[in-house]
Amino acid sequence: MSVKRKGPKATAIRVLTYVVLVAVAAIVIFPFVVAVSTSFKRPTDIFTYPPSLVPKQDVTVPADQVGTDGDPVPVFTFPGRDDRPGEWALVDADAPLAEFRPLDDLERIIVLDAAAGERTGATITIDGEEEDVFLVDDGGTQVEAYRSRLTSGGLFVSVDDPDTSVLDLVNFATPSKEFGPRFENFSEVLAERDPETNGKGVGRSLTNTVLVTILVVLGQIITSILGGYAFARVQFRGRSTVFLMYLGSVMIPFVVLIIPLFQLMLQLNWRDNLVALIIPFTFTAYGTFLMRQFFLGIPAEIEEAALLDGASRSTILWKVMVPLARPAIATLATFGFLYAWNSFFWPLVIINSGNPDNAVLSLTLSTLGGRSSTDTNLVFAGAILAMTPPILVFLFAQRYFVENSASSGLK
Amino acid sequence: MAAVTFTNITKRYKDGPKAVDDLNLQIADGEFMVLVGPSGCGKSTALRMIAGLEEISDGTLAIGERVVNDVPPGDRDIAMVFQNYALYPHMTVRQNIGFALEVAKVKKDEINRRVDDAAEMLGLTEYLDRLPKALSGGQRQRVAMGRAIVRSPQVFLMDEPLSNLDAKLRVQMRSDIIQLQARLGTTMVYVTHDQVEAMTMGHRVAVMRKGVLQQVAPPQELYLRPANLFVAAFIGSPAMNLVTADVTVEGDDVFCSFGGHRLRISPKALDRYPGLRGRHGTKVILGIRPEHFAMEEDLELPADQVLTFRCELAEAMGAEVHIHAVIDVAPPTVDGAPTTAEDDPEALVTGTKVIARVDGIHTVAMGQDVRLAVKTHLTHFFDPTSGEPLR
Repeated sequence: MSVKRKGPKATAIRVLTYVVLVAVAAIVIFPFVVAVSTSFKRPTDIFTYPPSLVPKQDVTVPADQVGTDGDPVPVFTFPGRDDRPGEWALVDADAPLAEFRPLDDLERIIVLDAAAGERTGATITIDGEEEDVFLVDDGGTQVEAYRSRLTSGGLFVSVDDPDTSVLDLVNFATPSKEFGPRFENFSEVLAERDPETNGKGVGRSLTNTVLVTILVVLGQIITSILGGYAFARVQFRGRSTVFLMYLGSVMIPFVVLIIPLFQLMLQLNWRDNLVALIIPFTFTAYGTFLMRQFFLGIPAEIEEAALLDGASRSTILWKVMVPLARPAIATLATFGFLYAWNSFFWPLVIINSGNPDNAVLSLTLSTLGGRSSTDTNLVFAGAILAMTPPILVFLFAQRYFVENSASSGLK
Repeated sequence: MAAVTFTNITKRYKDGPKAVDDLNLQIADGEFMVLVGPSGCGKSTALRMIAGLEEISDGTLAIGERVVNDVPPGDRDIAMVFQNYALYPHMTVRQNIGFALEVAKVKKDEINRRVDDAAEMLGLTEYLDRLPKALSGGQRQRVAMGRAIVRSPQVFLMDEPLSNLDAKLRVQMRSDIIQLQARLGTTMVYVTHDQVEAMTMGHRVAVMRKGVLQQVAPPQELYLRPANLFVAAFIGSPAMNLVTADVTVEGDDVFCSFGGHRLRISPKALDRYPGLRGRHGTKVILGIRPEHFAMEEDLELPADQVLTFRCELAEAMGAEVHIHAVIDVAPPTVDGAPTTAEDDPEALVTGTKVIARVDGIHTVAMGQDVRLAVKTHLTHFFDPTSGEPLR
């Protein structure tokens, strides 16, 4: 390491630099964090307010703990109600109840069982309506009140003391939440396409994409190595002309090629066939150029030494040159991988008869998020599934971008 | 093992000059032949033609009895050590040395045995599992040698193998290579531009210039009887001093005059250069090796064999002192003369530079006048127009 500038000013600049860098990094990574978080959420959990990055689920207690039977019972709390401390299990969300308003304070609501209260026989006129006056229990004291509404609400049983129960509107209670990722998002999205089970068929597309990607990358590596070596080291008539034409093809935008390529695929009867996604992309001018440049950089003496050692051209290529070209091959494989994995437009054109069995990941993902889709969590689960392999590939391959072993055998 | 024979070999590049021009050279079986010359002289091209890395434009090249003009490199049964070693960076030392055998489909345990033997011979045993990048320059050099000897080839070719090493290691490797060649007895063709390597290593040395072979001779003969001005100037370090001089023959005595100096030549020199006698009144190029000067007090010679120079620069080397001086006469410009004038246009104006090599016990100051005795019986004489020796 070199000597660093010292002093308070330099420190301040350095701190500021890091603050800015961290802030930008946080902004850049935030959408990704949201996607990961949403992919683990329950549908009910996605649009809650305030939004949360942590996937949550309802806290429940076993039914028999609160004196009922059946499914586990969700737990609520009553924040701000000191008379209802602790957690309360909602044993019945449809209990009949009545709202009473005390005559001395018409704004206050007392929620009681629908059958509670005794008519005093008196009446009172509220907003032009004549209402019966009841004598109701208000926390131990009897007050006069009128019944403003008959409705249904929740019967809550104290989790700590199952003998204590209260009736209240469910809206007045706050559901207890705990950390709870929903892994089924992934299994549902991967499962075979089936509306019954909510399967989205991403698994099949994933298999197709993996197959296409592996074959495209392998094909690109092999053709680029052979072409690059020929252009770099084999003398033949018209070599530079052919190379220039080959390289010139990089300049032609893909959209120009779509119609002729589509026609060609029709002629070959490759429409709706994965082979149409593989064969046209196993040849890459860019990769050939990359390999040629790398081979040119390998000292000719190494090849001459191999020639003198009795090695044939193909032995030299596969045993000497290719091992030396590993960094270039890794770069090429990474680019080829990303291209094949993410390609969308060509598959959309050529796999077009609605045959979902031959769809690739990018196509299936685009149908997940359609206009009528409500499964936001599944869309994100699919997106995360599609994103993970490229990220892993990049993490493993990136050291090759900086590594260069070719020159280490010299001097 | 085999002899290597060049017969009228020419290498012509398209639209270019001849890199090698009509080369005739017999390298005997088991001989250590050094090809030496300045850069661009064609020595490396000649070597690469033996290797089969360069096409031969004309002539016949034979290894042993076999004409190999059209034999690919791998089938010539030769091994080559490159200047930059050209090790396979991704292979361990063992794989590097064994690669040729592996290509030849030799059995695994046979390969291991021979690699172990070669490594043992070169002191590489403990490095066999390392990659080249984990080795020092000298070790890589030895791996390159190991790769050559493991195959027991007919001929070793070495292309400036020591030029990437530091001075100390170079001396060490030089003697290692000499001993190795002596032990194996394999024909060796060794290319270098370093005339110290040429002199110390070769059984015979072939001096080349501009694609043309100048002289092939054992080192000592090259030094004592140079075939022309170029060889005289190229071999020896510091180089031979060449001064254009006027010859006067007075009876049995021959005098050379140059830049205000007059030197009597010992009659013994005339035995070696009888042609000098007929040169009265003409110019010749007088060649004096730096070591044939001595301080006057070290070598008692008559005053007419002593020159007085003003010391322009004194380099104390410890064992000896190099005294630089300038003689007030234009340097020789004949083809093949050392390129002082080309390198340094000033030299034309200021005269001919000479270097004298005297015993290291003397202290010489810059600007001081020094009296130097000349061993005139060892001087050389060349024709000033053709550069041929006056034999």
